[in-house]
Amino acid sequence: MTNTVLGYKQSTFPTQLIVISTIGFLMFAILPFALGDFQLSLVSKLIIFGSLAVSLDLVWGFTGILSFAHGVFFTLGGYAAAYYLKLNLSASANNYGGELPDFMVWNGLESLPWFIAPLKHFPIALFATVAVPALFAYIIGYFIFHSKVSGVYITIITLAISSALTTFFVSQQAYTGGTNGITDVSRLNFFGTPISATGIYFLILIYATFVLALSWWLTQSNFGLILRSINENEQRIAYLGYDVAQYKIFIWTLSAALAGLAGGLFVPLNRFISPVYLAVAFGTQVVIWVAIGGRGTLIGPLLAAMLLGQVQNSVEKVTQDWQLIVGILLLVVVLFIPSGLMSLLPERFNLTNLSRPKPIEPRIPSEKGS
Amino acid sequence: MFHCISFSTGVSLYFLAQEEAEVTTGIDGLAILNQLLNGFGIVGVLLLTGLGLAITFGVMRIINLAHGEFIMLGAYVTFVMQSTFQMDLLLTIPFAFIVTAAIGAVVEFIIIRRLYGNPLETLLATWGLGIVLQGIVKLLFTAQLKYVKAPAYLSGSLVLLSDSSGAARVAISYYRLFIVLVGLALLGITMFLFYGTSWGRQIRAVTQNRDMSKCLGVNTQLIDMGTFAYGCGLAGIAGTVISPLKSVAPPMGQDYLVDAWMVVVTGGVDRLVGILAGSFLIGESNALIAFLLNDPLARVIVLTAVIVLIRYRPEGLFTVQKRV
Repeated sequence: MTNTVLGYKQSTFPTQLIVISTIGFLMFAILPFALGDFQLSLVSKLIIFGSLAVSLDLVWGFTGILSFAHGVFFTLGGYAAAYYLKLNLSASANNYGGELPDFMVWNGLESLPWFIAPLKHFPIALFATVAVPALFAYIIGYFIFHSKVSGVYITIITLAISSALTTFFVSQQAYTGGTNGITDVSRLNFFGTPISATGIYFLILIYATFVLALSWWLTQSNFGLILRSINENEQRIAYLGYDVAQYKIFIWTLSAALAGLAGGLFVPLNRFISPVYLAVAFGTQVVIWVAIGGRGTLIGPLLAAMLLGQVQNSVEKVTQDWQLIVGILLLVVVLFIPSGLMSLLPERFNLTNLSRPKPIEPRIPSEKGS
Repeated sequence: MFHCISFSTGVSLYFLAQEEAEVTTGIDGLAILNQLLNGFGIVGVLLLTGLGLAITFGVMRIINLAHGEFIMLGAYVTFVMQSTFQMDLLLTIPFAFIVTAAIGAVVEFIIIRRLYGNPLETLLATWGLGIVLQGIVKLLFTAQLKYVKAPAYLSGSLVLLSDSSGAARVAISYYRLFIVLVGLALLGITMFLFYGTSWGRQIRAVTQNRDMSKCLGVNTQLIDMGTFAYGCGLAGIAGTVISPLKSVAPPMGQDYLVDAWMVVVTGGVDRLVGILAGSFLIGESNALIAFLLNDPLARVIVLTAVIVLIRYRPEGLFTVQKRV
């Protein structure tokens, strides 16, 4: 973005950001040596969910578009990856010996549908993991943001999208595996050698660092300032000559692409994908992480997703009523701590300030007459 | 769609169906008729579930995502009344209304009141409230499915057309008819309350100009609470009436939430009659597309159509265009 906002320091090389990301990355890089396989896969999953929350934070926390559809983008990426892994099952591992995935055989498909077949190749699959959700988001964004539809209606539209797509995926059993989704996929291979749990963990960690760094850089730049201004006073930004719709579409599409990639990494880890992640309930989960962590803080949603996931894992051994606890937490946060748990931290530790460019000291005009 | 309107007059329908049957070699015409009648049943459910939302959203502009949970609460009230007092379903309606309205009033007092003028926060808070209500009901009644009995005198179906051997060819169940009638009755009562009583006048005054109404001595806070409670009470009645159709379980409200929103958005909230038009349009088009293709696709197509509709007419189809 070449547009600059007057009165604010131009963003410079983000030294602080790089130092902090490196420290964070190193801290997590040690984890595989301290944890068992089960714990490691749990942490990997939580990091993915955390990155997903960060991607939602970009559109909600910074731009003010509350979306329940981020689970949809996540799952679209996930399905692309799942098709790739499913199609690359070796013939011996495939119970039917043929080219066709088992669920397609059960549903009487004779040959691979043309829109799934290319996903057998890794570059295409990787591209689809990002491009399919991004394209879907772009179409929706182009459609919605060029209108005068207000924030609440956009949220209702995302609810409807999530609901409609869940119904659609469940009904197209022959192509999507129906309610079960795509299960028993192969392991992710690197030129023939399967990647271990630790390898996948590192892939995920690199991805999460990338997402966080990118989001930080974006929101710290002038572009981020404009996003924030759109959130605060859309009309004024429009009057200043910025094309609000373009900005919204861009961040919405980018966020969807990041969410899709998260889904793509989730499948090799989890070894299945199903419409559960399409449904409104999962979209809500993402929204809750962001709300509790703190909107517009990036690191808050990440931490909230990881902590809540960890707590949920231990609480669910004791009680079945985890959802009730989450609901109460959400209510309390919305009513009493609207800027999220991150705002409770003392200013010093509040990393959000990093992403908020400091205003240039106003030049005080010399007093008149003297 | 005009077929449906003539259903109220059984005789004309009979001839209409006869004619159609002759023209289109029998089966097809009857199947479509049956499907339209099915759609009529869906219209009833949509009307009932959308009505409460039309009050809370249409009149008060509160984005209530816990609406489905109030429907669920109504269904549970009926379940409790039936299982402890062996009460008839019809008799439990006032209880469902009172209990859900009371809970609605409390919710308005504790949560909604703090968030007026902040629609996205309200949306989030009511969503949280929905999760909490589900959780509490699950704690009290467990997640097990419960069943509610429909009254015996509403079982069976109204046979509109039968073949020579007396087997039903075109029929609608009495219970579906009952749902539609309850929906229409509630719509009528609500319209009377809004346009024919001093309470309704105050509500309309508050929505038009809050400060002015306050100056004129209207207790706006009480009006807010009463209106929200009334909307929730209507959701409770919807829950009672719908409960025998499916099982009663904590997540049941979620199914109705999206549909209810679609109805409200389609019909527009300018006038209450919009709800009737919205539910009619969605219910019947759903039934017709389901007949031509299949159920899930019908839902997808209708939802997509509604999304497109929101994009171009967020104020609803049946709203008089205002000059801004």
